[in-house]
Amino acid sequence: MSALSRAGSAFFLAWVLSIIWPSGLQARTTAIDDSGSQALEPSVGMHWKSASPTRSSDGNLMVGTTTIRVRINVMPWLRRSGRIYLALPAQQPGPIELSWATQGRFLPGKLQSGNRVLVYSGPIASAFMEDTLRFQFTVNGALMRRAVPVTYHFEMDED
Amino acid sequence: MHTARPCTRLERYRLRRTLCGAALCAAASAAYGYTATLNPESPQTVYLQVGVGNFTNCYTCNPQGQPENDTTINSVSVSVAAAAVGNGVAQAMTTNSTATQSFWDNYVYCSVPGQLYIGGFYRTTGATTAAAQVIATVPTALTDTSGDTLPFSRIKWTSSGNGDTGGEPFPAGTFVNGGQQSVGSMASNTWNESCWTFSYSNTTVPPAGTYTGVVLYTMSAP
Repeated sequence: MSALSRAGSAFFLAWVLSIIWPSGLQARTTAIDDSGSQALEPSVGMHWKSASPTRSSDGNLMVGTTTIRVRINVMPWLRRSGRIYLALPAQQPGPIELSWATQGRFLPGKLQSGNRVLVYSGPIASAFMEDTLRFQFTVNGALMRRAVPVTYHFEMDED
Repeated sequence: MHTARPCTRLERYRLRRTLCGAALCAAASAAYGYTATLNPESPQTVYLQVGVGNFTNCYTCNPQGQPENDTTINSVSVSVAAAAVGNGVAQAMTTNSTATQSFWDNYVYCSVPGQLYIGGFYRTTGATTAAAQVIATVPTALTDTSGDTLPFSRIKWTSSGNGDTGGEPFPAGTFVNGGQQSVGSMASNTWNESCWTFSYSNTTVPPAGTYTGVVLYTMSAP
């Protein structure tokens, strides 16, 4: 092969890689069917984090906890590897903090609305993944004039 | 959102029997995302303390304190020496209240027996609301057992607090002679407190006796 043709082959390979490489980095994100999940309480009762306010107007947080039996359908990724995130989209009534404890199947964590946090990474060995999560929502009381719905979901990044 | 029901056990049995049934069931019950309804429960709280009050612990303590009911009625009084009655020199009054510390942080905010603690808060959700008002309901006069009277307006108070800066939520004032009067206000979701120092104006010579009267303090939240 001539030097020119080797250079041409190298250029072609580099060009192909430059096309393939970015698409290889882009993990495909897919919402996970969690229709098997069950809430143990019908709603999340929000209470003042502290019984008394401070001398200024801060320290005005309300917290509420609820337990969810999470059962997500990961059959589409069976016998593959992936990363599962808990996502809390930005939504009304405003900034929301969500923290959770688990029984070990998923990772515990905390996130602010508008973000997502990794709860599992590794092989998908069964069609369903289950855990019981104890959620705690924290919201500024100034935003909690009335009951508000808050939506979150699980999503998969395929490796 | 979960708008479809999950498969029942019977349905799962049928799933094993037919692949087609399984596909239909999965399609019918698939849901992506969960909605939790955050419901503010008992979000409104009012606390008013005049004199001795009761908290399980202070606010900044660990664990954090909880306000409690306290039925104590404190007094503020003065005994004017016979030679000084009516001389126009205001007589400092003292209280039997032992409340010196703020339940916010246990800071010694008032000094007894010269000062009477008054403080509290008004908890509510939503944006900042109109302030809660503290009203004093005052009798027309102080009376003794013989029926002699002293106008309540002979008693006034100044307002301060140890290490305090800025305006007082419960400012200085003078009692009205019967009726209701505002003695302060509390912005929503803030802790408010002052220390009152009472005095008797001592400008007249009433008949000798023990003159008493009861003032009732009431907090009204919007």
